[in-house]
Amino acid sequence: MADAIAERVKSVTAELLKVDPAKVKDSARFVEDLGAASIQSIELVAAFEEEFNVEMDQDEALNVKSVGDAVAYIRKCIAEQHGK
Amino acid sequence: MKLVIFEDAAYEQFYPLTYLRPTFDLRCGSTLLREKVERAFGRKADVLFVREWLREAYAVRTSAKVNDLGALAGDDLVLVNGRGLWIGDDFPAAGRDACAMAGADVVYVTLTKGTAARVQASDFAGFLAASARAVPAAKTDLKLLDYPWRLIEENGAAIRDDFKKLGRSGVHGTLGPTAVIWGPQDQVYVAPGAVVEPSAVIDSQEGPVIIEEGAKVNPHSRIQGPAAIGRDTQVVGGKIREGTTLGPVCRVGGEVEESIIHGYSNKYHDGFLGHAYVCEWVNLGALTTNSDLKNDYSAVEVKVKGQLFDTGSTKVGCFIGDHTKTSIGTLINSGTVLGMMSNILGAGCLLPKSVPSYVMFMDNKFYKAGLKQLIGTARTAMGRRKVTMTPQEEALIQRLFDLTKDDRDELIKKSRKEMMIQRGLR
Repeated sequence: MADAIAERVKSVTAELLKVDPAKVKDSARFVEDLGAASIQSIELVAAFEEEFNVEMDQDEALNVKSVGDAVAYIRKCIAEQHGK
Repeated sequence: MKLVIFEDAAYEQFYPLTYLRPTFDLRCGSTLLREKVERAFGRKADVLFVREWLREAYAVRTSAKVNDLGALAGDDLVLVNGRGLWIGDDFPAAGRDACAMAGADVVYVTLTKGTAARVQASDFAGFLAASARAVPAAKTDLKLLDYPWRLIEENGAAIRDDFKKLGRSGVHGTLGPTAVIWGPQDQVYVAPGAVVEPSAVIDSQEGPVIIEEGAKVNPHSRIQGPAAIGRDTQVVGGKIREGTTLGPVCRVGGEVEESIIHGYSNKYHDGFLGHAYVCEWVNLGALTTNSDLKNDYSAVEVKVKGQLFDTGSTKVGCFIGDHTKTSIGTLINSGTVLGMMSNILGAGCLLPKSVPSYVMFMDNKFYKAGLKQLIGTARTAMGRRKVTMTPQEEALIQRLFDLTKDDRDELIKKSRKEMMIQRGLR
């Protein structure tokens, strides 16, 4: 289950930022490594909410810097909101 | 006597202008509605009544007592509905028993000390209703304003009234070489410390122009009366046309017509603002422009309390809540309402008729905005003008974030789905 979440996070990230999926590693930072502009960061949060059917605190979500941290944060949201 | 000013339940009809202030602190002319009442009675308000959730944030801004029913005891009272427009000269006298109504709404009640002592009530609404019933009816020409566009409709008359009651005219500041007063000199007041720079034109042919202390009018600005330029406001060129009020500490350029900028807001660049009310800490990006007239000349509709409302007027611009910012090139339709603390990236497209509070609007979609980030930005904007956000004001902003949640949640969810499809994620 954890791997499935990570894969979906990476897939959404690569598609939305139009980057090579191979570059979307756990350690990759959205802004510095993947080139996310501030507007794209907002779209990414919205896309993750839609993809995982969760509501995120926007301040918390925009503070997430890397793909691995995003996976962890989304997993936390899913656990809190869906009990999984 | 004690002067008591209250806001009634109509404050919701003025949203988003009244999210952070009581109805009586809306501006019309060069002064606030409350200040006109205080001027009429020659004294500051003693007691103010506001909706309960506004009390804490408002109480720290005023020396008057707020929502204090006990403070009404022991004196003659004048109870004034704060959305009344106290212009003209036909004002009631204190020290007698009288009540003036506009339909079912109280315009004012005056009570003698003895009558006031006999009115029993556990809250102010009850006190007001009982007072109105207890005294004879009086006629009045005073108007109660009922919707935001009324402030605009009355602004020219209110500026004329403010100028007349100011009782001063002439240039007491600096009028630069080649700056011109075009029209009667006695219809212009340039306060001490105000500067009208070379090649500016102050046109008083059709109405008075008030330029308050510390204001600066840059070269090639034209200010057409009736108009009021507030304390420490800078007009950075362009056309300030008739019926316009710029409140204190604004930076305004481009073209502005029959509009009110409440104060502490910027519209620095070119772009048209017409028949609009702009609250505090707003920044309108370059070339932000609003329509105030439909191409078929029909009456403009405005969203009030979630429903489109026919204003009956063909000239209605936009209404913009506190701390909202627009990007360059934002286009705003006639009758549009932009909520407070929203960040609007117009991108050259006409905005929807209503943008809720606390959203990021971009690519024609609504996104969530982070409250902490918004408050941080607001603190920065206020700090640039040496104003500090009080803890009570921050608490109010947080409360309003929750209060306005339903207005935006469905729009955000719908936008998310559209974005997923557009980005090939669905």
